[in-house]
Amino acid sequence: MKKLNRAVALAVSAVFAGGSLAVFAGCAGKSETVTLRVCNWEEYIDLGGWDESELIDIENNYSEEGIIGVQSMTDDFTEWFKETYGYEVKVEYSTFGTNEDLYNRLSLGDEYDLVCPSDYMLMKLIAEGNYVEFSEGFWDETKEENYYAKHVSRYIDGGEGQGIFNYPAYDWHKKAACYMWGTTGLVYNPEKIDSVSDVSTWAMLADGKYSRQVTIKDNVRDAYFSALGIINSEKLKSGNLSESERSGILNDTAPETVLKAQEVLKDIKENVYSFETDSGKADMVTGKVIANLQWSGDAVYIMDEAEGDENSTELWYSVPDECTNLWFDGWLMLKNGAEKDEKLRTAAEAFVNFLSRPDNAVRNMYYIGYTSAVADGTVFEYMKWNYGADEDAEETFAYDVGYFFGGEKLLEVDACNFERDADGQINRGRQLFAQYPPENVIARSVVMLDFGDRLGDINRMWINVRCLDIKDISPVTAGVTAAVIVAVAGAACLYAFRYRLFIKNKPRKGYEKV
Amino acid sequence: MKLRFNRSQLCIPYALFLACFVIAPLIVIVYYAFTNGQGQFSFSNFVNFFSSTNTLGTLLYSFALAFSVTLVCLLIGYPTAYILARSNFKKKYVLLMLFVLPMWINFTLRITALKEILSVLEGNISAYPFLNSVIGMTYDFLPFMILPLYTSLLKLDKSLSEAAEDLGANKLTVFLRITLPLSVPGIVSGITMVLLPSMTNYVVLDMLYNSTYIMGSLIGSYFSAYDWNNGSMISLVLLVIIFIVTLVTNRFSDKDAERGTVL
Repeated sequence: MKKLNRAVALAVSAVFAGGSLAVFAGCAGKSETVTLRVCNWEEYIDLGGWDESELIDIENNYSEEGIIGVQSMTDDFTEWFKETYGYEVKVEYSTFGTNEDLYNRLSLGDEYDLVCPSDYMLMKLIAEGNYVEFSEGFWDETKEENYYAKHVSRYIDGGEGQGIFNYPAYDWHKKAACYMWGTTGLVYNPEKIDSVSDVSTWAMLADGKYSRQVTIKDNVRDAYFSALGIINSEKLKSGNLSESERSGILNDTAPETVLKAQEVLKDIKENVYSFETDSGKADMVTGKVIANLQWSGDAVYIMDEAEGDENSTELWYSVPDECTNLWFDGWLMLKNGAEKDEKLRTAAEAFVNFLSRPDNAVRNMYYIGYTSAVADGTVFEYMKWNYGADEDAEETFAYDVGYFFGGEKLLEVDACNFERDADGQINRGRQLFAQYPPENVIARSVVMLDFGDRLGDINRMWINVRCLDIKDISPVTAGVTAAVIVAVAGAACLYAFRYRLFIKNKPRKGYEKV
Repeated sequence: MKLRFNRSQLCIPYALFLACFVIAPLIVIVYYAFTNGQGQFSFSNFVNFFSSTNTLGTLLYSFALAFSVTLVCLLIGYPTAYILARSNFKKKYVLLMLFVLPMWINFTLRITALKEILSVLEGNISAYPFLNSVIGMTYDFLPFMILPLYTSLLKLDKSLSEAAEDLGANKLTVFLRITLPLSVPGIVSGITMVLLPSMTNYVVLDMLYNSTYIMGSLIGSYFSAYDWNNGSMISLVLLVIIFIVTLVTNRFSDKDAERGTVL
């Protein structure tokens, strides 16, 4: 026993010694290394390991060769940071699956310095005061390493009150830095639909013609948005709405609107293939479904994938005529993390800057399919390299992305990848259309705000849609089910009594129970 | 050196585990279930649950699903276990292994494979959501039904049925009066092992495109909407149901164990 005690004592002291060593090491390291805790969407950053054939052969100001992801973005960042700022940073990178997931983790006490939620979650976190503003130095465009301030599209964000991030309704400027952005729409297989007018409206989701052939996201916000599009279809299509009217209609959370949306969504539930969380991409690529509500970035991914496999299919992306949800994912420095330490804040800002360096933006775009907020010549060159018309293209035209890249930016593209109206408007197209929607699409886009204190009601509506309502059970089903249950229970009872299953057998007189 | 532990000391690891991961979370669930968002005591979650036709409908749907799954598992599992238990000694373990083998493969993987098979068989699988869920869960839970049945049938004394046959009972009577009653403990534990998890296993439903919520997904949807209180109340209701079912089934199996000695 003594020996054991000694062994225990030894082990305990070893643990303590180890622990204190670690503490010392921690103290010593602190002066040189900062630990940056980043939480980003799953599969939302370049993880490196590209094949050499994947080299993007365009001019790159930051390296001799073209653009290629050899190691992961975070590893590249640590190296670059040491060179630029003179001390070391360690990135603790973690991921989340949904905005709600992130929010729940934060409210349960997880700590991060830098997170990347979507627009409405940014609003929620900012409204709760859980953020640290980007410092003044971050916006100094004369500094070489301030890539975000220098290269972010003026359409999205910018110093002199330009861009959507500066709109008073959102007011994200200086509080958040945009990472990726896009629209929502329908990915579809043009060979399997009757006419393109079907995919030009959100009503396709409830269209009996495509019963059990279309998927929708298992996400209350996207579903609610498309339901509002269906309800207000005529008003939205009339074309004489001001921007604020449009935004008002699509951010309407009044009780009677929610009730109307509930009915529409119930119809949709009966009509669609599924409410998918992640299976939609694969089902679209393999052809199980013919259309799918998607975010533009995933749409690009799906179109690439469908082209890539052996029986390649050409899928298209359509932005319905009613409206589209313009969304942004942005970096936010959190209060209980980045606020504590000046060096940590520098590291967080540097991380955003590094991701906004044009070649890195291209790497991320290539890797994940989404559209970066960075509007630099390199990104434009990448688009040209990727989607520019081939020499043998039958018909080409100039695709205007000037609103985003600034100035006269026309991209000569192959006309067969776009569907142009008589008046030159484009509402359907392939990858480039999904990545940079044309201005006529932007004109009918709306940013969906946080539901605020209406969230509870809308979630209840969603549960009502998804749950079986007793009132909806048909008498036939109820009757059949009841009959089956009665039959099974009756049979069991009869059997039990017939063979006296559960009746205690008393031993006969004179015999003892063994 | 000799290590000596008495029985209560051996219990310490499990007691610690129980306290940390069973009792503590339970207390948290009960706390949330009977408070509102502001942390005040309230019965509103309870009232919410029993006043909404949707939550009650979900409860009903879950029950219908779980009941069907259990029934199908029993109908498939009983003959299988019977054959396994009665088969030639040498082959028995190989056969049993074949039935347990699928359990070694990750179940999402199995369901994904099942999805493809069903797609081939049914064409558009989203047209039969209830049927698919039953098939998927049966696939998932069948071993849990077979194993307890197998053990209880294996224990069964063969001389009893031989005696019955000697006394003139035909095969059916032997089965109904000897084999089946003696395997009731196996049936009961099989039912508990299938019925209860299939009320909440919503991953199968998600993967097989059934968009109707069952109890598990309902709890999940409340939690992802930051509504811990209503979600906890539903968990608590489920817990009570499970408790009642276990109580009832325990009564049966205990009595039967007693009967075994009488016989």
